[in-house]
Amino acid sequence: MSSVTVNQAIVAELYTWRFLKWVLAICVAVVAVFPIWWMFNVVFADPGTPVSINPRLYPTSLSSGLSKIQIILMETPYLRAYFVTIGYALLTILGMLLIGSMAAFEFALFDFPGKRLLFGLVMLSLMVPTVVTIIPTYLLVAELGWLNTMQGLVVPGLASAFGLFLLVQFMRTLPREMIEAARLDGASHFKIYWYIALPLSRNAMVTLAILTFMKTWGNFAWPLIVAPKPEIYTVGQVVGLFNAPFSHQTVDVVMTANLLAVLPPLLFFLIFQRKIVEGIAMSGSKG
Amino acid sequence: MNARRHLPHYAMVLPFALLFAAFFLYPIISGFYYSFHDWNAATEARFIGLANYEAVLKSRDFARAMTNLGIYIAITVPLGIAVALALALLVDSFTGFWANFFRSAFFLPVVLPAFLAATIWRWMYAPNFGLVNMVLGWFGMPSVNFLNDTGTMLYALIAVDVWVSAGFNMVILLAGLKNIPQDLYEAARLDGASRLQQVRYVTIPMLAPILFFVVTYGFISALQVFDVPWLLTGSSFTAYGGRRNALLFPVMDMMGRAFGAVRFGEATAYGFILTFVIILFTAVMFGLRAWRTPK
Amino acid sequence: MAELEIKSVSKSFGSVGVLSDINLKIASGEFVVFVGPSGCGKSTLLRTITGLETETAGDIFIDGKRVNDVDPAKRGTAMVFQSYALYPHMTVAENMGFGLKMAGEPKAIIRDKVGQAAAILRLEKLLERRPGQLSGGQKQRVAIGRAIVRNPKVFLFDEPLSNLDAELRVQMRAELIDLHRRLNATMIYVTHDQVEAMTLADRIVVLNGGIVQQFGRPLDLYDDPDNRFVAGFIGSPKMNFLDAVVLESGPDHVTLGKIGGSDRSLRLPFRSFDPSIKQVVLGIRPEHARLGESGADSVPVIINFAEELGDVTYLHGKTPGGSPMIIRSDKGRFGGQTDCHVAFDPGGIRLFDNDGRRLRADRN
Repeated sequence: MSSVTVNQAIVAELYTWRFLKWVLAICVAVVAVFPIWWMFNVVFADPGTPVSINPRLYPTSLSSGLSKIQIILMETPYLRAYFVTIGYALLTILGMLLIGSMAAFEFALFDFPGKRLLFGLVMLSLMVPTVVTIIPTYLLVAELGWLNTMQGLVVPGLASAFGLFLLVQFMRTLPREMIEAARLDGASHFKIYWYIALPLSRNAMVTLAILTFMKTWGNFAWPLIVAPKPEIYTVGQVVGLFNAPFSHQTVDVVMTANLLAVLPPLLFFLIFQRKIVEGIAMSGSKG
Repeated sequence: MNARRHLPHYAMVLPFALLFAAFFLYPIISGFYYSFHDWNAATEARFIGLANYEAVLKSRDFARAMTNLGIYIAITVPLGIAVALALALLVDSFTGFWANFFRSAFFLPVVLPAFLAATIWRWMYAPNFGLVNMVLGWFGMPSVNFLNDTGTMLYALIAVDVWVSAGFNMVILLAGLKNIPQDLYEAARLDGASRLQQVRYVTIPMLAPILFFVVTYGFISALQVFDVPWLLTGSSFTAYGGRRNALLFPVMDMMGRAFGAVRFGEATAYGFILTFVIILFTAVMFGLRAWRTPK
Repeated sequence: MAELEIKSVSKSFGSVGVLSDINLKIASGEFVVFVGPSGCGKSTLLRTITGLETETAGDIFIDGKRVNDVDPAKRGTAMVFQSYALYPHMTVAENMGFGLKMAGEPKAIIRDKVGQAAAILRLEKLLERRPGQLSGGQKQRVAIGRAIVRNPKVFLFDEPLSNLDAELRVQMRAELIDLHRRLNATMIYVTHDQVEAMTLADRIVVLNGGIVQQFGRPLDLYDDPDNRFVAGFIGSPKMNFLDAVVLESGPDHVTLGKIGGSDRSLRLPFRSFDPSIKQVVLGIRPEHARLGESGADSVPVIINFAEELGDVTYLHGKTPGGSPMIIRSDKGRFGGQTDCHVAFDPGGIRLFDNDGRRLRADRN
């Protein structure tokens, strides 16, 4: 065999491989994206299009979609659930960041008696599955009279071992000399945290905030048991109502409800894509 | 003097420590206590020894849930990770814009709240007009009621599960792939390794630590599967698990016993049994890793 | 401007002793350099002075006031760190003014003081930049500026030039000397580089193993070292050390034999040599050794290679006993391995006992 034919074979193989690669990638992308696209198309479809007309490849009516969104926001408890969930997510994020960063600052940069024990305990809790704590925690919340309240939703999730772990990992990379320089500059312990450690950890904090938002927005089990009253339904529960077998809602209205639930995390993803991906990759590689 | 010097440290840790103690340590301890008691939160708790554990272990639902779980895990974990690895390799073979594009596209399902993924797929799986059945129809196959046919329910769940989790694991594996030095591949190519051989002899060994994390994490979360089967079957605390309990899983069973049947003692005992299984799994995984890693 | 006194300071981390019984008195306005190999305790001593480390025993006085229990920020010391430790999220001006801000000074005063310090260091144009946008030398100046703004009694420098390239280092040394002259402040400077110590210092503290080996003016250390460690540490290339035995000694001389394992002997003037000492180490700097003719007072050396630097040539060789030997030679080119003879300038010979202590002749 001459070297020319060998080269041709290699080139041919290369092209086949490239072609297959593209076909595969596009197919997977379609499978991944289409259900969401389909949902979008059902919402923005001409009214009266039977749901059985499939596949819906593109939206056909903007106004009909908007009017459905309007109906849902005005005539159902959806808007309130939206505010409840946003409040739940924001309060969780703020509390977790504050409490977690304060503790991470100490665990990452200082030594004090009991630190190893406490930190070890928290890291150990990462291994303990939520199933074992969820019911006793519910019972505790009930005892505190916090069922169907915002604090009942938020407070038990604030001492996040995962969040602490992420922040400690990051703060460990802060140079020691910088902390000492601040001390020599006369900054008190709290001011070193506030003026130096906190601003320098902005990246890790933002990552944690985004991951926490995604997680809280999608949290289903905890609100389900701790906030079973309609006044404090989260989006997850309301979406569950819309989709229940006897909800008396037409399919396109149900899909509108679903679409509205996807919107915030989807927007977050489009804006903070890199941070989200980095955050997940980081938690994986450190584990 | 010494204690005073450390005071600021304790002050800063205190909020976290208090909340951690109240909402992690205390629930574990109190849960352990409840698990030996007959208790419905309304009447006085009554000590009954191991009866709760016995009741759970002997119940038919537990056996059913564990069987489902066993099949589910045996398929979903390896399949999910194989798909994730394949996607990671696929994305890694692109560069620039298209690498980002495909990564984002593949990751999109992760962005959805799990409750929504389940909800959307209920529509996808719907008999007759659902998208999946429509595609089957193109190939002349009869419509299947995926979520009501005990023969297909579990596999329908697995498909959703892989759809949701593949992107997540892909991102972690991609980060690992990026850390493999390029010259290792070049060396392997000079040694005459084909593309597949490069994956087998360079990529997978170099990814081992991250694969280990992904597999372990995959096991732990699969053991606690709840949202997706709960919603796929349209469950409530009084009726869950789908037709003939074909999608009954331990956490669903546990939640039902707590909030449907109001047997909190039994439910907490259930939690501890599950935790025991999870710890056992994790220990086996770590043991395997220690055994596989030469000193 | 302040006097600094360190009285029997010791420091240990757990059971590991790092500093033992340090006693130093540093005059106001003096530029003192702590020098020693890594791990000798010089940085720990500096950090103890500023209060970042707490001494295990002993006292530190600044201007006669005991500062052991004074907060690091209030001791009147300012430190320039090796890594500069600039706050990356603050501008140069904010970096320099952070200490004043923490002390609750009004903004106008902070701006004034930062402006003055910036003028001294020619940083006026950089005040609004962030550290990430500065070169190494500029960062260094900002770090010094941050110290100046605090108007400290004592400036402390912890290897501040070690992250700069060679050329910039020379330039910054000159700037530091200039700065010291203008501010007329007490400055303490830590380095492992003896050349840096020699160029900068009014007086040098040589530390080894947590113990002060010698404290004195640079040339005093060079010409009159207290012990073998100082003799070997100061000066480049190093002083040569050759083993020798004492053949006989009298009231005004000592005769050494078996120098460097050779069969040569040497009679040196030495007032009242301790006759109980039978073995010594002879120290001779490369510039005090000359290539010469074979003779009774010269030692045979095998030259292995030469560093031909242009202005001088250093010949590296070995004595018959195997001790390494460096000889300075001002002329001639090296032509491969050769045997030669080396004669010592008697005034350049320093004697040490077997424990490394300097043997000094009686002065009168």
